[in-house]
Amino acid sequence: MKTDASTSKKTKAAEELVGGLLGNGQTLKQYRDAIQDRTKTTGFYNGLERLDLRESDPIRYEKLFSKLRGGLVHSRETAKKIAASPIVEQEGELCFTLYNAAGDCVLTSTGIIIHVGTMGAAIKYMIENDWESNPGINPGDMFTNNDCSIGNVHPCDIATIVPIFIQGKLVGWVGGVTHVIDTGSITPGSMSTGQVQRFGDGFMITCRKTGVNDKPLRDWLHESQRAVRTPKYWILDEKTRIAGCHMIRTLVEEVVAEEGLEAYEKFAFEVIEEGRRGLISRLKAMTIPGKYRKAAFVDVPYAHPDVQTPNAFAKIDTIMHQPVEIDIRKDGSWRLDFEGASRWGWHSYNAHQVAFTSGIWVMMTQTLVPTQRINDGAYYGTEFRLPKGTWMNPDDRRTGHAYAWHFLVSGWSAMWRALSHSYFSRGYLEEVNSGNANTSNWLQGGGINQDGEIHAVNSFEASSCGTGAGAIKDGLNHAAAIWNPEGDMGDIEIWEMAEPLVYLGRSAKCNSGGYGKYRGGTGFETLRMVWNAQDWTMFFMGNGYMNSDWGMMGGYPSATGYRFEAHNTGLKERITYGDTLPLGADTNPAEAGYENHINVRAKVKRDKQCMTTEDCYENYDLYLNYLRGGPGFGDPLEREPEAIARDLNNNLLLPEYARKVHGAVIEQDDKGVWSVDVKKTIANRAEHRKARLARALPTREWMKKERDRILIGRAITAVKQMYATSFALSPKFLGEFKTFWNLPEDWTLNEEDLDIPTYGSKYREDLSKLPDVHTVVLVEE
Amino acid sequence: MQAQNSPVQVMGIDAGGTMTDTFFVRKDGRFVVGKAQSNPEDESLAIFNSSEDALAHWGRNVDQVYPELLTCVYSGTAMLNRVVQRRGMDVGLICNKGFEQVHSMGRAIQSYLGYALEDRIHLNTHRYDEPLVPLSRTRGVTERTDVQGTVVIPLREQEVRQATRELVDAGAKAIVICLLQSHKNGTNEKRTRDICRYELSKMGVDVPVFASVDYYPSRKESHRMNTTILEAYAAEPSRKTLQKVSDRFKKHGSKFDLRVMATHGGTISWKARELSRTIVSGPIGGVIGSKLLGEVLGYENIACSDIGGTSFDMALITKGNFSIISDPDMARLVLSLPLVAMDSVGAGAGSFVRIDPYSGGIKLGPDSAGYRVGTCWPESGLDTVSVSDCHVVLGYLNPENFLGGAIKLNVERARQHIKAQIADPLGLSIEDAAAGVIELLDLQLRDYLRANISAKGYSAADFVCFSYGGAGPVHTYGYTEGAGFKDVIVPAWAAGFSAFGCACADFEYRYDKSVDVAIPQNGSDVDKVTACRTIQTAWEELAAKVIEEFEINGFKRNEVILQPGFRMQYMGQLNDLEINSPITMAATAADWDRMVEAYEETYARVYASSARSPELGFSVTGAIMRGLVPVQKPTLPEDPEEGPTPPKDAFLGTRKFYRHKKWVDAKLWKMEALRPGNEITGPAIIESDATTFVVPEGFATYVDKHRLFHLKEVKQRPTHLREVK
Repeated sequence: MKTDASTSKKTKAAEELVGGLLGNGQTLKQYRDAIQDRTKTTGFYNGLERLDLRESDPIRYEKLFSKLRGGLVHSRETAKKIAASPIVEQEGELCFTLYNAAGDCVLTSTGIIIHVGTMGAAIKYMIENDWESNPGINPGDMFTNNDCSIGNVHPCDIATIVPIFIQGKLVGWVGGVTHVIDTGSITPGSMSTGQVQRFGDGFMITCRKTGVNDKPLRDWLHESQRAVRTPKYWILDEKTRIAGCHMIRTLVEEVVAEEGLEAYEKFAFEVIEEGRRGLISRLKAMTIPGKYRKAAFVDVPYAHPDVQTPNAFAKIDTIMHQPVEIDIRKDGSWRLDFEGASRWGWHSYNAHQVAFTSGIWVMMTQTLVPTQRINDGAYYGTEFRLPKGTWMNPDDRRTGHAYAWHFLVSGWSAMWRALSHSYFSRGYLEEVNSGNANTSNWLQGGGINQDGEIHAVNSFEASSCGTGAGAIKDGLNHAAAIWNPEGDMGDIEIWEMAEPLVYLGRSAKCNSGGYGKYRGGTGFETLRMVWNAQDWTMFFMGNGYMNSDWGMMGGYPSATGYRFEAHNTGLKERITYGDTLPLGADTNPAEAGYENHINVRAKVKRDKQCMTTEDCYENYDLYLNYLRGGPGFGDPLEREPEAIARDLNNNLLLPEYARKVHGAVIEQDDKGVWSVDVKKTIANRAEHRKARLARALPTREWMKKERDRILIGRAITAVKQMYATSFALSPKFLGEFKTFWNLPEDWTLNEEDLDIPTYGSKYREDLSKLPDVHTVVLVEE
Repeated sequence: MQAQNSPVQVMGIDAGGTMTDTFFVRKDGRFVVGKAQSNPEDESLAIFNSSEDALAHWGRNVDQVYPELLTCVYSGTAMLNRVVQRRGMDVGLICNKGFEQVHSMGRAIQSYLGYALEDRIHLNTHRYDEPLVPLSRTRGVTERTDVQGTVVIPLREQEVRQATRELVDAGAKAIVICLLQSHKNGTNEKRTRDICRYELSKMGVDVPVFASVDYYPSRKESHRMNTTILEAYAAEPSRKTLQKVSDRFKKHGSKFDLRVMATHGGTISWKARELSRTIVSGPIGGVIGSKLLGEVLGYENIACSDIGGTSFDMALITKGNFSIISDPDMARLVLSLPLVAMDSVGAGAGSFVRIDPYSGGIKLGPDSAGYRVGTCWPESGLDTVSVSDCHVVLGYLNPENFLGGAIKLNVERARQHIKAQIADPLGLSIEDAAAGVIELLDLQLRDYLRANISAKGYSAADFVCFSYGGAGPVHTYGYTEGAGFKDVIVPAWAAGFSAFGCACADFEYRYDKSVDVAIPQNGSDVDKVTACRTIQTAWEELAAKVIEEFEINGFKRNEVILQPGFRMQYMGQLNDLEINSPITMAATAADWDRMVEAYEETYARVYASSARSPELGFSVTGAIMRGLVPVQKPTLPEDPEEGPTPPKDAFLGTRKFYRHKKWVDAKLWKMEALRPGNEITGPAIIESDATTFVVPEGFATYVDKHRLFHLKEVKQRPTHLREVK
């Protein structure tokens, strides 16, 4: 009997396989290769020079669009309520995307749409590595992925991917992703520091089959929940993803039942070509052809004793560097070239090529293409060049990615500034954005929480940083993140449920917005006191020693970060005895105001070291969560006097800087209200301008001085290391550097001459070198 | 006209920004509608004028009718406008020290609330509104209470006294107090309130004090603070207006107590403590009206749909109840009010239609022509095509009788605009382009309705769809076609349905309170009993508040019907579900189990049973108490049925009508002249001054004895239309 049953099962399976998953005899790889070929040869996605369905029946096409998109958005809204994590439920860090059978994105829900490409890359990986024969792709299967070596941004974005079968054939995929609160990495929180390789980044899942017949497998449930610190959040997040994917699968089944499979499949390709054309027409409408060049930098200060790494070779200060050249052509096509970017490093801030190219759309949809019609068409409309070996396209399978955002935010912000130059030139002043905040600090940590459970925390107040100033108005205060225009700091009473950290203040961060004619939006700050926790740890993340964005047309960068933490504060006694307490804003960090309201023997850390690793905190210890501001636009000497007075009266600007930077002559009345004397200010500003001229040098003279510094090597080691890694990867970049500074032919800068560890600078092994692994390359390298 | 002497029992008021409508219903179910220009300076005068206008239809006047009235419900937009235009009272705010900027910072979400999807992602369009209370009138006092209600930093009382004096000096005309976690432990906030009041009395100033614990003791401080501020900022001025209205009624002999439509779907007295929950009421009226109709007709599942010029609002009544959300947003503020759950799409009858220059796709809205109709009205000054333009060129709307002939529409002008802006770019004829727009809009609305029904775990076949709003009946067939509703109903008074609904609402108070009770899946009986005790205590506390409100209006405790409810979630989740309690008193472990059972049943329906997570245990997050006193409701008109053939005088002729790629002759009927029992088969258009009901080919409708039109899809000639009853 047993044999019979298994034989008949085999026969049935064999019958089903006659036409393959696609019912046309092709493997998924053959199918995808053919699409790629047609796209490459014709320049149109899948060779679709004409959009038959759309041209012959535009109304039906729009109806299909409306049904699918409406359903995707709706499924996200419904599924999100299942989650327990404030990151998902309150911050909306989830997204559902529909793919065609080749893994190209058809449409996506609202949410963090960076995952349009990351989940697509996972599907493509399964296709390229013949998942259909082993482990098999069947109706009712679920696959889980968070592998950063094949496209995921960071391990805490967990994707559930479900194949959609209709009439016995695979017609597409639906993916759902949530940002989980803990990934079981070496330290608690979703985006940890300290580990410098993939092996400490946390639980890593490579397109694993984790469910059959619409049910998660038990081994997966057991293994995954004990692999992380917060199993309750984990399991509800998984239920959220599964519920949403299944709702969308049902939606597709309904649409096919109404419109027929043929129309659906046509639509699923035409809409991608339409997306490609949509991007091109936006570029034509909004920009001016030409080459735009920008650069971005961020600090990785790992030499500091408060950064504990497992490896001596990682204990160095480095800087990440990303030059970008955007070439917009007259036909609306464009190319983004990152030649000269620095090499990946021993930290957790590296990014996979897909994280970089897919993530770009979460930024572009806020400005260039603010439309619901976003899909992989935009990717096909863009030429990317990410040199292999750089931080955004590593050539070694050991790289850490847990906080890839550390530099992605600055890297994309540079592109937004480049586009803003184009908008400005074209006259779209209202679209100009002079840059973006470095979306930090990230308050993370863990231990035993107020309920006595093992816990991890990951505040998402960073979703509400200041935005860059525009060409006609100030940036918005504490409003958004470059990865989420729909930012929200959330309610204190909700965060206090999730974190054993009592708030002692929440205020807009004075002076954090970059100065300018229009200032950047200010960030904000919250002061937290550890409360009812045991064995508690926390750490800091963000830029500290360097600006990570620069402003435009004379506008200043936003303020950099700093950290404040205090231990042995004596607050318990001060509360009991009614002494003064540190409450509210750290208005002027230079005055160290909090220190006047805590124990004089308290151990305070107040410095620019904004990257730290897990450190211990006792109850009554303090932690300042400072969320950055945005950069400014235009000369601060042109700022309207009323705006200066308003900022002074709302505690958004320190009087000293109103005088120094804005050249304002200000006074305060007996009620403490500030005003600006307009006449005196005009005169004072004239003096400022004179002083500027007196200080100025002709560019050639200044360059000569700088050249001399280069020749004698007068720069800190971190700067030299940064350039050395770029030069090693790109002789072209080295050549340009030498030409620009008019350096001798034999001038060069080598990492090995710098007297710092150079581990990894010569010997590297790419993931593609592993046996039986076919990586998916989606950019020019 | 029969029973001319039937007394007038019910009055509804809809005081909008431009027009004030009144709605009177007689004992025999007949009704009249009156209109008058709104008067923001003295609303009572506009109501008086509107009443006179209405009653003139019956040859009667205010002095005769007001004394007859048993009940009157007010709804209006004055409070909302006061908030939107920031014309409220000068409020002072006392909060925790260190958190003075929290209110003026606003939540970041408030910078894009109310935006269409595409603007929500378009960062440079975001903006904050001015805070209701400026930083200069905000003071902090040292105090902190933690999430479990434990006092971390005791209140420093001297600071309250100082803050009070400073706020009065700064010009505060009212003082609002909202301290963190006071919903969990209100002791310090109440103490702050008492000290503040004492200090004010010492200063001899008459400044009212509003503490959030007395109003909205629910978690989420930005919601609670905004709502308590609204109470002082906007509701108190409204109370003065309502008093004036009430006084004028009394002057003309009225005996009823004026009630106001509230967000929770009941009506409350103008003397009620929480008046800010009357900030919006219009769209809720339709839901209440649908519920009443459903009760009369025996339907317990109803999809309510209301199309106006700018939006499509829908709500669901399931098992005879509408659902409530507890932390809605209005006027771009996050609030803490129980609000009848409604979903809105920013596409309506007047939405603009454009071809997206980048994608070439059709874009509907989000902006709309509003009262300017479309390019078909030359005086509108518009040159962008609207949905109404499409209706006009396809023969849906009568260009000669728009708004009862108040304005004349130019069909050719609309045709030319549609040709240039929509048809030519899409390569379609004018008719096909216009019809495509209509189909697309109707499809969006239909899918939206269906998605909302399935999100609640139901299928459309379980529902009757009610369609109303001035523009509703033009679209009814389109957004219900193929959806599979059990029945589709258009009331003859579709245009005045919201005002009708307000007049149907019970006298009902509802109070909510956050509670924290958590029991694991296999919790002990002892724990369950303790949990029940906490819930029961909360219910009793809320019941006392409800009864106190009714006592202000002269009702006795035993006249009030109390209905407890609760909000439950799996332990650790952030979203709870509101459940009507299956038990009236919580005491035993079995009581707890019944509450859990009711929750899990609802949860499985809403999110699919695979999402159930009983292994996490259960938390009750909120206690709810509703108390109501039944009131006189409008009677439905009821006339004998007169057979399927409409009277001759109802027939108005024919008009060319385009649908499904062909022109046909649609028969035109005058809605008021149709008699109960009449049947109309499409293509037909039933017109009245305020609305147009479109019955295309493949549809038929039947008027029942209550003057409700039942719309049905038919293959050929209707033979068993009556079955739709």
